[in-house]
Amino acid sequence: MSIAAIADLDEAQVAQVRAAHPGVFSTPWGTVKRWAPLSIAVIYVLVSMWYFEFGRLFDASDRVWALLRNFVVWRDMDTWAYRQIYVGISQTLAMAFLGTLLGTLGSLFIGFLAAKNVMPIRIVRQIVRRFLDILRGIDQLVWGLVFVRAVGLGPLAGVLAIFVSDLGTLSKLYSEAIENIDRKQVEGIRSTGAGPLAVIRYGYLPQVLPVFISQSLYFWESNTRSATILGIVGAGGIGMIIIERFRASLYDQVAFVVLNILVLIFAIDWLSKRIRLWAVGEKAH
Amino acid sequence: MSDIPFTGRAGPEASEQGAVAIFERHRAELRASRRVWNILGLAAFAICVALSINISGFFPERLATGVPRIAEYFATIMPDLSWDVLFAGRTEDGRAVAGSITYWYTDFWTYIELLWETILMAMTASLIGSAVAFVLSFPAAANLAPNGWVYWFSRRFLELCRGIPEILLALIFVFMIGIGPLAGVIAIAIHTAGALGKLFAEVNENASERPVEGITAVGGSWPAKMLYGVVPQVAPNFFSYAILRFEINVRASSIIGFVGAGGIGQELNRVISFYSDDRVAAVLILVVLMVTVIDLISENIRHRFIGKENF
Repeated sequence: MSIAAIADLDEAQVAQVRAAHPGVFSTPWGTVKRWAPLSIAVIYVLVSMWYFEFGRLFDASDRVWALLRNFVVWRDMDTWAYRQIYVGISQTLAMAFLGTLLGTLGSLFIGFLAAKNVMPIRIVRQIVRRFLDILRGIDQLVWGLVFVRAVGLGPLAGVLAIFVSDLGTLSKLYSEAIENIDRKQVEGIRSTGAGPLAVIRYGYLPQVLPVFISQSLYFWESNTRSATILGIVGAGGIGMIIIERFRASLYDQVAFVVLNILVLIFAIDWLSKRIRLWAVGEKAH
Repeated sequence: MSDIPFTGRAGPEASEQGAVAIFERHRAELRASRRVWNILGLAAFAICVALSINISGFFPERLATGVPRIAEYFATIMPDLSWDVLFAGRTEDGRAVAGSITYWYTDFWTYIELLWETILMAMTASLIGSAVAFVLSFPAAANLAPNGWVYWFSRRFLELCRGIPEILLALIFVFMIGIGPLAGVIAIAIHTAGALGKLFAEVNENASERPVEGITAVGGSWPAKMLYGVVPQVAPNFFSYAILRFEINVRASSIIGFVGAGGIGQELNRVISFYSDDRVAAVLILVVLMVTVIDLISENIRHRFIGKENF
């Protein structure tokens, strides 16, 4: 139909089409329904900007520039305590590695306890799962704070914090992997008269081990990231140095440390990708 | 395998024996090389374990003294409730009875106010972050970017946003604009923009090209192509990711107060650092409850929304 033909239509014809195909035409209610969520979101953001006093962002502009300048201009580089910085970085790496390793070992055990097909006793499973929920519900940083109170400042608190929060998350992921396996292999092992441990070793482990390794490597990566900030609550690692330098207004050193951390994180990502490729043969993401 | 000599012409029996022997030899070589690599890997792993135990001070005697103290600490933060006055209210002069829930949760309404602030922070940060991520996800998608430069810059910008930990950003913003929830909101919003922008861009890269070609054919501009060609395909996915991010942000905003950036974290930090009594458990329980409830609600919304879209 050409444009001229559309212009020739009269009201009655339009009304007829409207009655025949109501879905094609916009209705006032449809317009409202389409735009309501967006306008509610915009109004909410505007109100919350007022509530959170967004204006303060612009009041502080001279401090912002001073801070940014201090980040970029590095002074007295030979007086920086490099040894301390790199000890902090090595602590961060050690915390992430050991915490993930312990978390993996613990989850290997607890994951089986929380899986429906391995643990037939409902009550045990439920208790284990609720326990894991609590471990997961409390943030890693809070665990760090708690362990600093218990074992004192330093990387040991960080290792324990990473261990406990990994135990919560990894056990859940492991138990889901165990629940998703193929039953046939397990039944085959069982039919040969194998004991429960042999069933787990030859029936379950070969199927779930690649998943386990790959998950644990991901956690190692992400724990290296989070280990850098655990020091903010005093749980060891590079975070302690960052916050200390920050409080002492040594912003150039903070910038240097943050750059180091970014390089470190890229390196760990690359390494974990290579290990995953080597151990699991899975194509890296 | 070029290093295996071809021996097929020496007669059937001899060749068979020879082939088996060569195969066995080759297999033994492969196994030996694999064993060497396994041993090397194991050695590297053992060295890493030893080093990290040494650096982090994960020694048996420290654990032996530390671990009982963990249990002790958890015992001290548990409330001292007694059953007979558990539900006792305040007495006439406004004092709570020791051992009652009212006594335990003396500052209940302060906590609730802070929890509410935490949720609002997460909501605002999620909305602002998703808006930025939404705008940047089109130039950051390889198949939709108008040119290479825009693609490169938006990719790098998103990487920068999600590369720096939220709490570090919050620390910087607290210094810039002072203590309060605003610093937390901005820090979480920046991180959300980076993380969601990447996910959104990946969704965009998987979107069908056909609607975009349709809009191109009728002479649509680049924004029109995105708005009418891509957005209708990806909106459900975007929504689902944004809700998931809100869940993560609630957790983040509950701890971002550790550096003074508002929310319940500030109270949590104060309570854990200065007291070791039942107040710690009171705040912790409320935080865990809030996070769990938000998780359940968001999961419900996501399932319902995805179900409706048949996706």
